Amino acid sequence: MATEMQERGKVATLIEKATNSTAAEVDPRLLKAIKSVVRSSDSELRLAAHTLMDLMKRDHSQVRYLTLLIIDELFMRSKLFRTLLVENLDQLLALSVGFRRNMPLPAPPAIASTLRSKAIEFLEKWNASFGIHYRQLRLGFDYLKNTLRFQFPNLQETAARIDRERRERERRTREILQNKFEMLKTNFSSVKEEIRATVDEVRQCLDIVRTKEECMPPILLDDEDFVEFRPAELRQIRLDSLKEGEKVHENNDNKVVFDALRELYKLLVTKHLASVQEMISLLIRVEAADNRSRDSMLKELIDIRNSLISVKKDCEESGCALPKTAKNNEEEEEDFWEEGNFGSTENEITTEPGKRKEVESSNAEEKSKSIEDRNFKKSNKRSESLAKVSASSKVKAKDKDCSNLSSKVKETLGSENSVRSELLAEAPVLKWGSFLDNWGSVSNRDTLANQKGWELDNHWGRVDYDAVIPAEKIAELNLQATIYQEKLGEIQPCRAPLNKGVLCQRRDLKVCPFHGPIIPRDDAGNPINQNSSTEDTDPDLGSDLVEQIAKQAVKNVREQDKEEARKRKLAKQSLQREKLAKVREHNEAVLRDAAMASTSRSAAFGEDMGETVGEGSVARRNKQTLASMLRKKVTTKDRLAQRLLNTRATDATIRQMTQGEDATYKEAFPNQW
Amino acid sequence: MWKEIGDREMGKIRPNSFSSQIKSNRISNLQLSNNKDIVSPHRGSVNSLQVDLTEGRYLLSGASDASAAVYDVQRATDYEGNGLIAKHKCLFSVDKQHEKGHKYAISSTIWYPVDTGLFVTGSYDHYVKVWDTNTTQVVMSFKMPGKVYRTAMSPLATSHMLIAAGTEDVQVRLCDIASGAFAHTLSGHRDGVMTVEWSTSSEWVLITGGCDGAIRFWDIRRAGCFLVLDQSQSQLGRRPPVLARSAANKVNVSKSLSAGQNSLGKQRAPQKKVSNGHGMKQSTIGRMPTNGSVRQRLHPGMLSIQDRATAHYGAVTGLKVTDDGMYLLSAGSDSRIKLWDLESGYNTLVNFEVVRLQTSKAIQLAISQDSAQVFVPCMTVVKAFDVWSGKMSLTFRGHYESVNCCWFSSQDQELYTGGNDRQILVWSPCQLITDDTDAGRTKDEDNWSD
Repeated sequence: MATEMQERGKVATLIEKATNSTAAEVDPRLLKAIKSVVRSSDSELRLAAHTLMDLMKRDHSQVRYLTLLIIDELFMRSKLFRTLLVENLDQLLALSVGFRRNMPLPAPPAIASTLRSKAIEFLEKWNASFGIHYRQLRLGFDYLKNTLRFQFPNLQETAARIDRERRERERRTREILQNKFEMLKTNFSSVKEEIRATVDEVRQCLDIVRTKEECMPPILLDDEDFVEFRPAELRQIRLDSLKEGEKVHENNDNKVVFDALRELYKLLVTKHLASVQEMISLLIRVEAADNRSRDSMLKELIDIRNSLISVKKDCEESGCALPKTAKNNEEEEEDFWEEGNFGSTENEITTEPGKRKEVESSNAEEKSKSIEDRNFKKSNKRSESLAKVSASSKVKAKDKDCSNLSSKVKETLGSENSVRSELLAEAPVLKWGSFLDNWGSVSNRDTLANQKGWELDNHWGRVDYDAVIPAEKIAELNLQATIYQEKLGEIQPCRAPLNKGVLCQRRDLKVCPFHGPIIPRDDAGNPINQNSSTEDTDPDLGSDLVEQIAKQAVKNVREQDKEEARKRKLAKQSLQREKLAKVREHNEAVLRDAAMASTSRSAAFGEDMGETVGEGSVARRNKQTLASMLRKKVTTKDRLAQRLLNTRATDATIRQMTQGEDATYKEAFPNQW
Repeated sequence: MWKEIGDREMGKIRPNSFSSQIKSNRISNLQLSNNKDIVSPHRGSVNSLQVDLTEGRYLLSGASDASAAVYDVQRATDYEGNGLIAKHKCLFSVDKQHEKGHKYAISSTIWYPVDTGLFVTGSYDHYVKVWDTNTTQVVMSFKMPGKVYRTAMSPLATSHMLIAAGTEDVQVRLCDIASGAFAHTLSGHRDGVMTVEWSTSSEWVLITGGCDGAIRFWDIRRAGCFLVLDQSQSQLGRRPPVLARSAANKVNVSKSLSAGQNSLGKQRAPQKKVSNGHGMKQSTIGRMPTNGSVRQRLHPGMLSIQDRATAHYGAVTGLKVTDDGMYLLSAGSDSRIKLWDLESGYNTLVNFEVVRLQTSKAIQLAISQDSAQVFVPCMTVVKAFDVWSGKMSLTFRGHYESVNCCWFSSQDQELYTGGNDRQILVWSPCQLITDDTDAGRTKDEDNWSD
């Protein structure tokens, strides 16, 4: 009887145990145990349902959360459990969603919000799976959704919608492919013909060129005997030049042929090759009804592509150096300057040259103007639109960087545009300042002070219109001043092992408030330099040294086995070195500390070190429990409030203030007592 | 069950008791119906429900969003989940969009008792309106001096067509549909009238419950009220059933109803606990007009102490007369349900285990046809009590907010409840035979994967 009772209570204790945890999930072993026990008998299941409903009433969100997870597990599995639970669904929802105003979810609030979202999610899931059999589920879902307007995650519908959209998209692409395939089928032969014609023409052209070349006598071939004694490099150069010489060169005779060839090449590469590639990819992707015709077409296309490639190669080998010339042509065309559009100038320059062509014609007359002129305009405009550093100013900056003579660079700018773009790419980005007004120009002139266009006469008395500000003063005023910005390096994480099993990811400069000084640790979070003494407070100082020593020591130990004799000596040596290293490390640490003390960061961090270390150890000592979750976290504000609002402090302040008031009063009325 | 059928065949059980047995059996098995959904078009709390008295087929509901709707509870409009769930959408609804609709919450909707061609709505916009069901047009409207809390028409009436309306005002008005005017103005209550109910035994008797805690009885043929229930006057227990007693006393029950009650009135005397001398104890509803030398003297200005008697502390929020017209159940904002013996006008001291009742609104009680069970909305749940013992027999848990009204359809043994969560729920006897023939839908069964 007693054992039976014990058996009967088993599920209750299991559930108690499973919910008495601070983890974000139910212990899977316990969950499995609960499930197996509950599955064995209906009475256990009833007891479980009862216990779970009781636990849902606990005044702790974490307990409710874990209980809800167990409820979900059982709900999805057992029909009896469902019927039992559905009876009190409104209560369950009130306890898990907290929709009743007089029954809000208990602390801690963070877990309460997860509890709520989880409960809503579960309700949606339950409704989707079993809503048809349980009116209560439908009612609860409907009430939360339509009356209280809770936001449901709507998982199923979202998934269905995404799936539908994807299928729709696929269908459309298939349709498009099919259409293209049909088109291709109809005009495949004509395309083929066209390509073949072009290829033939190219071949003929090449033949013509070659035959002409054959007639020309080789000039330099005879020299080959003499070159043998020369060094290998020279010979290589020579061979290359010979090869180059073999190539057909364009001259007046074959200019027409070359022109035609170029034309055809362009057609071949830009049109035919691209279209053939496209067709191949289309054929690969399309799902045609007749696979045979598709395969044959594919084969043909691949053949065509191969022949095209070979022809292209022939063309390039034939020495007309077509691709290069084409590029040069293009680049010549793009010599222009876009005027007036300031913000986008930068972008324009970085984009592909082809994009600029649109504005080219409109800017044609600009070309005639000298670049100096433009720069002048630019700088004027820049002073109007302040914030942005324009391209021209960048160029100017570059001027100063690479050479002091700006005019020279301007010349290069005029002659070679590529240099300009190169410079633009390199130009530094600066914050705007008055120094940019005469960037690069060494102004040695004095400036008239009172020639700003204001009528200052008769206002401040006589005005000296000839007053000047000396040049050195101007230079001083225009000095570029920047604020030094400390470069923030990568701050290493603390990596101390936490209770959760992960490593502490806090990034502090020197001392982690929870785990003390930051020291190098291995992947498990254990400190690497165990043997280092207490003075090793500065981690990034001699850590690698210590590491080195440790390695050395390990090596030594290995060697000990081999060579017994050298053991003593080596040990002594290492010991000595270690000592030496320690001394050096200490020295370095002292120096480093001294240096750090002057920087802003160390000033901010150094002071509260001791205190935080103490607190960290306290925090580590108390283990996290359900009760501790309810405790309010002590924030900085609280600590400050504790400091400032205790009676002593307030008394002191009041005393101070009354004293001050007394003093002022006495000062104001010295003759009164 | 089969045994009972066998007994019925053998003639051991009389048809009446057989059917009532089956019915009470079904009533004890009421639960939230999974396969009968009433799709509520209301956007506010449902305040009133009634199934028509002639066919028992059309459910009328009134809600706080000034809408009223009619549903066919016998035939579903469409089905869901492979025919598992029958949806009953409203046949029509009238709301604020209707050109002559109510402006504010409808507090009360009732069918014209004789047929379903008319229904009456009372609203917080001070109007009582009479609607033609077929054209959904207002055929008559009565302007009241305040918010209308409850309207009632006598189910027995053959000689009048009066709508009794309880309003914010202290006076109860009777609106005559035949003439379109107020026939009576009954004054006596000292505060608004929450609930009105016609007697089920006499077409002339009206019962009203006010916010002053008084339950007053009016005979509409005479001026003034003739009875005020007093909670301090009580009798222990209930009278023995009519049949047994009449048999024992050799009283011929085949006489007219009033005569029967007459005789009952005479029998009543020895059972009374205390007769404290004043004429009140002599008053019974049915015979009041016929016999009343004492009444005559007392009636016009009843003793003021009597006139000030209260039935509940706080407001009377709900009234329901049993089908035989001999008992009255009243609910008050003091969270009490009281059972009154109408013949004596005494409180029977039945203790109903009610925890809490809604106090701010009138609630609508329902009673099963053989007066065995009373259904009371208690906050978010509806509870079924045994009328004579006050024991709670069933709890209907399903609404998410307070329940305002319930209606028991004796024809189908179904309970309809409406609440602040805008739902109208159907509670029906559990189906004994479930058809699992259609395999297409997802089965509701255990699914242990591990």
